[in-house]
This record gives sequence, structure tokens and C-alpha cells, in this order.
Amino acid sequence: MTKQEFLTELRRNLNGLPQEEIEDRMNFYEEMINDRMDEGKTEEQAVADIGTTDEAVRTIASQTKMSTLVKEKMRTRRSLTGWELLLIVLAFPMWFPLLMVALSIAFTIYMMTWVLVIATYSAEAGLLAGIGGGLVVFICSLMEGTPDLLVGGGALICIGGACLVALLCVLATKVTLKLNKNIFLGIKSKIIKGRN
Amino acid sequence: MDAQLKRGVLDVCVLAAIKNEDSYGYKIIKDLSPIVELSESTLYTILKRLETAGMLVVRSTEFEGRLRKYYHITPRGMQRILDFKNEWKEIMDIYSFIGKED
Repeated sequence: MTKQEFLTELRRNLNGLPQEEIEDRMNFYEEMINDRMDEGKTEEQAVADIGTTDEAVRTIASQTKMSTLVKEKMRTRRSLTGWELLLIVLAFPMWFPLLMVALSIAFTIYMMTWVLVIATYSAEAGLLAGIGGGLVVFICSLMEGTPDLLVGGGALICIGGACLVALLCVLATKVTLKLNKNIFLGIKSKIIKGRN
Repeated sequence: MDAQLKRGVLDVCVLAAIKNEDSYGYKIIKDLSPIVELSESTLYTILKRLETAGMLVVRSTEFEGRLRKYYHITPRGMQRILDFKNEWKEIMDIYSFIGKED
């Protein structure tokens, strides 16, 4: 890839950022490529050293707050004319339900990522209840002189299961948090790229 | 390393790289490469943050027919390095205390 190709692609991928920031970043990358070429690297090598534009977008996304990106997007929107405003108000019964549906779908999809976590923690809670109940019944039966071995054994099985499921809880939480982080990063990358 | 801690450490690394003489982007990356791998995008963010915090100033200088940005450390930036060193002493004290417990 030539320097010009890289910079053109970069500009396209940073479309969602403020204009002056795009210029500033482009200058920065261009200087970096030029400095590498001055050192004797070929244009191809120098550009390859910088990495892909997708990597750049992802790094920028991970280092920029979502609120900053959204604020910037709002700020660059042109203000609405009177007619447009009137149309929006009149069409309220139409777009409001649609907006609600869209929000509900987004919320449902988001909650689905947490299903695994909820399921494992529920199982853990069930097993803990089983341990508690089982032990109480077993100790009572012990004191009465007729130990209920079936319940005691059940409590032991629950203890084993609870240990195992506790590990699954931790694993599920970790995986889900990572997934959420990636989704969040993906959304931010989309905003930076600015293609809706 | 904890993300917050790493961010603070990287800031000081970049300040240290321009402490003795003004430097430019690629030179900072090269100078720091033996101790820490910095990507261009990461360095850009750090430099912007330090500039906003008044710890460095930027000046564009002509170099072989093109502009190159040089970064110059301010007294506040110098102070940040000193503060970091002092903080580090505290952390080392804690570290040796933890070591004694073994």
C-alpha cells in the first residue's frame, strides 16, 4: 500500500471524528511514514509498520469515551428548520412507537448476552439452597437418632455441584464482560468510521 | 498491567523521552521501543493528553521540505516526572513490605 492509499483509507475510516481532529491525525501518520522512509525504509515497509487503518480505528475507539463521540456527533448535526420541526412533532404518533420497538429490541439483545450469567448464578443459588436445606434436615435427623443418609448424601452432591457451578459462574461472567466490551468497542468504531 | 496504571506509566515514559531534548513522534517511539511497544495511535492520544494538561508544548519545524512536530517538555511536565518518582518510592516501600511477609 502506498502512503497516499493509506491516508485516503484512513480519512474514510475516521469520517465520524471532528474535521480538525481528522486533519491532525492524518498529519501525524504522514509524518510517521515520512520519518520511516527517511530512515531508508521503502514506502511499502513504512506503511506496513504503521499497521492497518482498522487497527488504528480500534485503538482510537478504545481510547475515546463514548460520551465524547456521541457529543461530537450531535454537535456536527445541522440545526433543524421550522418545517422539519413541525413534521417531527406531527409525526410523533408514528415514530414514537417505532422508536420504542427499536429500543426494546436493542435492550432484549443486550440482555441476551447476560443470559448465560443469569443461568449459572441461578443454578448456583439453587445448589446453595440445596446445601443449606439438606444439612438442616440431615442434622435434625441425626439428633433424632435416625440419620437420613439420603438427604445427607444429597447435600454432599450439592456441595460438589456448587463448587463446579461457581467456577462456571466466574467463567460466564468473564466471557460476557469481554463480549460486552467488544460490542461496545465495535459500536464506537462504527461511530468513528461515521458510516450509518 | 492494570489499564489505569499503564496509562499513567506511559504518560511518564513519553515525558521522559522528551526530558533532555525536544523530540518528534517517530523518535519517541524508537527511543521507547526497548522498554515499551507504543503504536502510533496510542502515542497520538498520549501526546494530546499531555498537551491538554500543559505538560508539553508542540512546535512545527521545517525539516527537509516538510513540517515535523517537535514536542517540548514544560515545567509542569518536569514536575510530573518528579511526582512519579516520589510515588514510585512509596510503591517500592509497599513492595518490600509485601516481600517481607513471605
